Amino acid sequence: MNQVGSVSLIASLAFAAFALVAGAVGGKLRSTRITRSAERATLGFFLMITLAVVALEYMILTNDFHNAYAAEHSNRDLATFYKVAALWAGQEGSLLFWTWLLSIYSALVVWQNRNKNRQLMPYVVSVLMGVGTFFSLLVFFVANPFQELNLVSSAGARAYSAADGNGLNPLLQYHSMVIHPPMLYLGYVGMVVPFAFCMAALITRQLGDNWIRITRRWTMVPWMLLGTGILLGGNWAYAVLGWGGYWGWDPVENASLLPWLSGTAFLHSVMIQEKRGMLKIWNVSLVILTFFLSIFGTFLTRSGIVSSVHAFAQSQIGPFFAVFLGIILFFSVTLLFLRLDHLKSENKLDSMVSRESGFLFNNWILLALVFAVFWGTLFPVISKAVENTTVTVGAPFFNKVAIPMGLLLLFLTGAGPLLAWRKTSFQSLKGNFTVPLVVAGLVGVVLFAKGVRDFYAWMTFFLSVFVMVCIVAEFWKGALTRMRLAKENFFVAIYTLTMRNTRRYGGYVVHIGIVLLFIGFAGQAFKTEGKGLMQEGDILQVGNYMLRCDGLTTGDTPNYEYTRALITVTKNGEAFTTMHPEKRFYKASQQPTSHVAIHPTLSEDLYVVLAGIDQDTGKGIIQVFVNPLVSWVWLGGLVTLLGTLLSMVPSRIEREMAEIRQSQELTVQAGDAY
Amino acid sequence: MRIKEKYGVRSPGSGVPIQSRGSVRGGLRIVLFTVSLLAASMALGDNSRTPTMEVIGNEVQCTCGCNAPLNGCPHIDCAEKAQMQALIKKEIADGKDETTILQDLSLKYGLQVLSTPPAHGFNLSIWILPGIGLLAGLALVVFIARRWKIKPALVSAGSAKPLDPKVLSAMEDEMKSTGMKEEPRI
Repeated sequence: MNQVGSVSLIASLAFAAFALVAGAVGGKLRSTRITRSAERATLGFFLMITLAVVALEYMILTNDFHNAYAAEHSNRDLATFYKVAALWAGQEGSLLFWTWLLSIYSALVVWQNRNKNRQLMPYVVSVLMGVGTFFSLLVFFVANPFQELNLVSSAGARAYSAADGNGLNPLLQYHSMVIHPPMLYLGYVGMVVPFAFCMAALITRQLGDNWIRITRRWTMVPWMLLGTGILLGGNWAYAVLGWGGYWGWDPVENASLLPWLSGTAFLHSVMIQEKRGMLKIWNVSLVILTFFLSIFGTFLTRSGIVSSVHAFAQSQIGPFFAVFLGIILFFSVTLLFLRLDHLKSENKLDSMVSRESGFLFNNWILLALVFAVFWGTLFPVISKAVENTTVTVGAPFFNKVAIPMGLLLLFLTGAGPLLAWRKTSFQSLKGNFTVPLVVAGLVGVVLFAKGVRDFYAWMTFFLSVFVMVCIVAEFWKGALTRMRLAKENFFVAIYTLTMRNTRRYGGYVVHIGIVLLFIGFAGQAFKTEGKGLMQEGDILQVGNYMLRCDGLTTGDTPNYEYTRALITVTKNGEAFTTMHPEKRFYKASQQPTSHVAIHPTLSEDLYVVLAGIDQDTGKGIIQVFVNPLVSWVWLGGLVTLLGTLLSMVPSRIEREMAEIRQSQELTVQAGDAY
Repeated sequence: MRIKEKYGVRSPGSGVPIQSRGSVRGGLRIVLFTVSLLAASMALGDNSRTPTMEVIGNEVQCTCGCNAPLNGCPHIDCAEKAQMQALIKKEIADGKDETTILQDLSLKYGLQVLSTPPAHGFNLSIWILPGIGLLAGLALVVFIARRWKIKPALVSAGSAKPLDPKVLSAMEDEMKSTGMKEEPRI
């Protein structure tokens, strides 16, 4: 199987390199035949990489420990579920996985555009396969997962099969880790598609409405997947690392946040280009930046230039990525400069109080946040280079910088959509803002009276109410009008309203999700915790919860041994729940982990960790966190996901516009033919 | 033909005010509001705190190599974490304030034990540059906006293409259904 994998890798490299060249030549010569050939090579690339992935998964699933990667990242007793996930547990496998996802995206683009965007496609294929060639080279020559396990002796090296593997890193043996990396990678890799269309549009000077429409849709998909991946990663950190939090501003976490933030900026500013023909240079720059940050994220995760709790796979591939990043930047920025004449704004700003200026402010804050997070993440490396001192930039810095900016963004989430295009009158502002501000103010007063004194938390709740009222008012006003004009009942009116303009109302649903996320973040200000040594009969009081230990039990599974605490919880004197936190010891990797017990409710999570056994007393070390509003974070993520999906459904208006566009294109084609 | 640009003049082609003093003032108000909100957030959010294990534990990194704050060290039975916590507990019991405790910890474990570098020398740039970036971004936004506004594109009424009746009808439907009176907010 190692040979099958290696042969398919070299074949995929050949296909990618051919498609890269043929795409460019096909585009230059305007040759349909050569372009089709490049597209078929892209499909060949997809098939070969898929074969390589199947070969590696086959070896992992069948415990073929001739393969060094399988021996390093799997073992016989590992559940099948996790064996599948071993593909992306190590450096070589995860790069192969990255390349495979790229091949899937590329094949999808080729298939979807087989009869359209024919002028752009040669260069789209060329750019996609340029990236494919880089990753194929990396996977084949630098991080090949099809290495045989060798036994080195004085007689030389010979092929060898281990009796069992080292097993998967215990921290990765958690259900969301099976889906978190694929989501994150789908997000990272997917950003290559908008980049490819953007580059193709620049090369061909086809910088009209078409490329921006394609790019927006192709950005929404990876943006949504990246966001989901980030939240799943937070869920993993929350449930596995045992420190009671879900976001620690770790460099690898930051690396995933950066393209998401710049992608968010693009998804907003693109609307100005679609509606007003403005911000064209800015939008191209954002597409380039987002792709650059996606590759930068992979570089940061893989190179080990900064230390991270998430860096499970590091090696000396940093310089290759650095060169590739340099090539991307040089190629794309040069092209942008060469096409500046084609990117002139079609309209001017009518007023500073308008939807356009709202988007400008939104982009300003988002990009400032990108810069601050980027700077903070890389500062230890820069400080080491400049002053030769090792410093750490952790959560306090990022919280101090990001929270105020986040609050401004939250304000704009509510205020932006209330501004009209071109110009908003003072009367309109007053009419739209008065009720939300009054309601938010009243809630703010109540919260203050109830004892909410943390400024950031109070501000978050105040702004959350403001934004929610703004959004609800938009739905309400629209529904009332439909009820009056179309004689629909309220629910039908809401449904029809949403489906008539899914993009607008889907966007509002995304904003609701963001509000829920912020409410969840604010909950961190009210976190309480307690710690105690417990054995049967011991009691620990944390906040309103009383935890009674009913004993410590031990057990054994093929994969790990465990010690489990049996804990009965009462809340305000009434029976609440039973919880069973575990401390596990994984046999293959010889590593201990904690298996946290979480009882989630909408108001707060009770989070119990069996941190270990006290050597002196033999009692369990129990750590308890009461984490308010954490469920709102996951709920917010889900609502954001649903809102994004909704906004991708073509609405009636969009379908009508598409029909008009299609009929106009047909007319033009008929005219050309005539 | 170019017309002299004045505040409040209407573009003859569009009938839309090119710009007005009111809108500039409104824009400035928004910028001022934004900046003051940001400044207030930063100032008010930075409450002086009494030193507790939770506060200090978030300000320093665990020295075991986990790259996590002391409070967030994922290692079970971490000896380094226990040692650091014991030291912090003792300093709190001695009545020392947050700054002194952090200084003592950085003397014992090195500068990298602090979750953020102290704000002096080159390390000051970590705090300054995001602020500069923010202001430079604001300057850029204002510059772009002013540039756009100073040179309004004049399109004569006769040169505009008539809107496709289907598009017009779709827009009118949308405006009716959402009760919009001003600009269509699609």
